[in-house]
Amino acid sequence: MIDIEKAITVLAGESADFVIIGGVALSIHSAAYVTYDIDFCFARERMNLERIARALQPFDPRLRHFPIDLPFIWDASTLSHGSVFTLETTIGDIDLLSEVKGLGTYIEVLEQSTVFQLFGFAVNVLSVNGLITAKTAAGREKDTPGLKHLEAIRAANSDEEP
Amino acid sequence: MKRTPEQKLLDPVPGGTLARVAEFGIDLSLIAENMRLSPEQRVRRLQQAMNSFEKLRDEVAKSKLSDQ
Repeated sequence: MIDIEKAITVLAGESADFVIIGGVALSIHSAAYVTYDIDFCFARERMNLERIARALQPFDPRLRHFPIDLPFIWDASTLSHGSVFTLETTIGDIDLLSEVKGLGTYIEVLEQSTVFQLFGFAVNVLSVNGLITAKTAAGREKDTPGLKHLEAIRAANSDEEP
Repeated sequence: MKRTPEQKLLDPVPGGTLARVAEFGIDLSLIAENMRLSPEQRVRRLQQAMNSFEKLRDEVAKSKLSDQ
């Protein structure tokens, strides 16, 4: 199970460029939604890949659902060769995505994000509208309850009723 | 008079978005409750919920094993 605070603070502590997306972002926006991993959208610049690699190195990242004896080197070079990494680590499951369906790459995701103060850091979190766009584009049935939460949060914060 | 987000969640306008979400089965009072918390408190609350679910899952798995 993911240690959310640890995952956020190690990346923020390395000044990595990332945006929290997915279920944890929903909760930060007030959704009463439970998730078991944390999803980050990350910038693909070499320096940033090095920061991410360094931040997560102590937690022994490996590809999830792959045989334990499959060789896997965790470093910036490995990160540069993929756009989606579903990792298991000693602090829980972490998904790293360089692109989000419906939104685009890190820059577009960042444009749709809001800054929250979390555990002593200013952290980018995908906005309610951004999450709705991404989850709608994903078109997965399992996202329907999350989408309903987001619609409720947007409606409650809207100046107009209903 | 303009209503607060919490008031809207706890007393949705019939036929509106919030009423439809409630009809879908989402407990709007839980969202209203979370809105009273700071973002950091919301993360801590999520972590507690995850821990509880994990514990429950382990207990269920254990009881299934002892049934075999």
